[in-house]
Amino acid sequence: MADTLNGSAKRDGLFSFLSRRRFLKVSLVASGAILGVGGGGLLALRGGAPKVEGLRVLDPHEYRTLQSLVEVMLPRTNAIPIDAGSMDLPRAFDTFLADQPEHDVADLQKAIVLIEFGPLVFDKKLTTFSRLNAAERTEHWNAWAVSESLLRRQVSIAMRKFFNLVYFDHEQVWPHIGYPGPSMKRQGWSKP
Amino acid sequence: MSGAIIDLSREAAPKAITAEICVIGSGSGGATAARLLAEAGRDVVVLEEGRDLVGPERTQRDRRMYDQLYMDRGGRASHDLSVSVLQGRVLGGGGVVNTCDVVPIPEGVLRHWAGKYGLEDFAPERFKPFTEDALRDLSASRIPESLVNLANNKLRQGAEALGLRGEVMLHNRVGCRGLGTCLIGCPIHAKRNPRMVAIPKSLEAGARIFTRARAVKIRKAGQELKEIEVRTLDADGYHEQHELTVRAKIVVVAANAIASAQLLLRSGIGNSQVGQNLTLQPQLPIIGIFDERIAAFDGIPQSYAVTEFEEDDNSEFGLWGFRIEGIMGTPGIVSSLLPFSGSPGMKGMAQYDHMAPSLLLAPDAPSGQVEVARDGRLTIRYEQRDDHRARLRRAVETAAKVYLEAGAREVLVPTAPPLLIRSAREAQQARQLTFAPATAPMISAHQQGSVRFAATARDGGADLNGQVYGTRDVYVFDSSGFPTSASSHTMTPIIASSRMLTTKLLTRI
Repeated sequence: MADTLNGSAKRDGLFSFLSRRRFLKVSLVASGAILGVGGGGLLALRGGAPKVEGLRVLDPHEYRTLQSLVEVMLPRTNAIPIDAGSMDLPRAFDTFLADQPEHDVADLQKAIVLIEFGPLVFDKKLTTFSRLNAAERTEHWNAWAVSESLLRRQVSIAMRKFFNLVYFDHEQVWPHIGYPGPSMKRQGWSKP
Repeated sequence: MSGAIIDLSREAAPKAITAEICVIGSGSGGATAARLLAEAGRDVVVLEEGRDLVGPERTQRDRRMYDQLYMDRGGRASHDLSVSVLQGRVLGGGGVVNTCDVVPIPEGVLRHWAGKYGLEDFAPERFKPFTEDALRDLSASRIPESLVNLANNKLRQGAEALGLRGEVMLHNRVGCRGLGTCLIGCPIHAKRNPRMVAIPKSLEAGARIFTRARAVKIRKAGQELKEIEVRTLDADGYHEQHELTVRAKIVVVAANAIASAQLLLRSGIGNSQVGQNLTLQPQLPIIGIFDERIAAFDGIPQSYAVTEFEEDDNSEFGLWGFRIEGIMGTPGIVSSLLPFSGSPGMKGMAQYDHMAPSLLLAPDAPSGQVEVARDGRLTIRYEQRDDHRARLRRAVETAAKVYLEAGAREVLVPTAPPLLIRSAREAQQARQLTFAPATAPMISAHQQGSVRFAATARDGGADLNGQVYGTRDVYVFDSSGFPTSASSHTMTPIIASSRMLTTKLLTRI
């Protein structure tokens, strides 16, 4: 994580949208729902997650949540028949986080927890995001972008910005969107 | 004597550096000041947080370039994430990552500033020579017709059919090959920006330029010899490494309207006006989608502007109204602005080469704030005002009609939920847009006004020489000083005003 001296590198970035106060408010709502299940019940609800080698920041549960998210954000379709799973976008997120200021990392990890328990907190469903089937997960996630809750809209924007940017930077996607790639190569300019 | 660019991520940093003048920031304001001061024989040190990223390192790839060329790795945003705040972090600053639009401060705005804010040096006749010098620095010229791409021509075609005034814009490119990635750096250096003009001139005149050097605090701002606390950064600019002190008699802060105010606030210097009166000039993208292939990613992304609705003589704010300008980005950035996920998002991006996007530029009232908390965390506080929403609604409706007139199959307004417009009648739906926070991909590329120039400390953060109130020889020479939006594009205004303020400074020292 970014080492800051006297906090001088701290700044308001795309991923620092969860102010402590705002998150506290959401956490209170969330904890109300969670209390109904109980702490042990919560963990049981989330279930186990397979071990993932080489993660620098994320834990396996967070990694799994992002895998589940990417599946619905960037699905294989007729228009773009690419499997985002092959790109390991959650690991790209992990790599990104490893060089972010600590407060951004903490905020993002809270956002991932919120996504995972979103069905419970916002839809009052006794399940988690990763456990929803693809259709339910898609419907649930699409509701974040147009939610009455500013926080949910913010999380939606932040995730979309990161994962879309990384996904569409992949060369294998370009033929399906009509992008022929960087013009330097196309024009045969190896050096300026 | 020849100067040097010293990358502090690669070379051992000294414990202390002494110079007569320390310039913080190497963009339009800082590089211009450094050049003029060095050419006048002054001992100048420049501090730049970014690094000198040139030639083949400008890879035309979204992910790496946003990471390396923009502040906060491209992720800077207003407090509620409603506005993405784009700020260059590279040697040469914003001029390296802009779309080369050369738009001087309109005369109406200059008159407004001189009359309402007492900025006599900005009166049109007095300011004119500095604008002319700036235009020469930039090798400004009209974009040749051969470089106006199909996407911009669609905008022009629709505007002309509707009888709307517009123009092919002025730019600062020489030898442009239409590579199309202006927003993530030109790999062949066709931009005559501060990196290619003022920086080389500064070096020729002996300036020492330190990159990967983050100015953290200015100390002893009221004393003859100031101390700037600096942290060196690693090669990618992610982590702070070493600490050093720069001692200088004169400090010129030109780090952009966000970072300049942030530095002053973090240093605890200046009056209560520092950080106030921020304008973000938020822009909204809109996309015409055509049956024919547009390939807007080739050629100059921004070359035509519809100027029919722009005013420069609004009695309260000077620049007002709105303009519509063609634009395009690489796939990553375009996709990140689209409002939908899943299959609709994939379907939307599959039309990437059929898109002709525009930006709707509406100047805003100076109502935002730059804040720095005790723990050092920056907040860009910004609430969109009703008058801005109203002008954006009108701009959306107009732009939709323009694209439909040019033959667009549909027009996408990338709000959440998205608005798809397929007829002039449907364009009226734009009147219902709420622009609630974090529902529209607003972009700010022209932050201004956080340390306003004013004749008295009651009205602004810096005096008419750019000197920060309450300090001795600590100046701001960038867009922080502009009392209202200077122009639809700020590079030329900043260079011209930095030239004027530096010329004045040289008469006093």
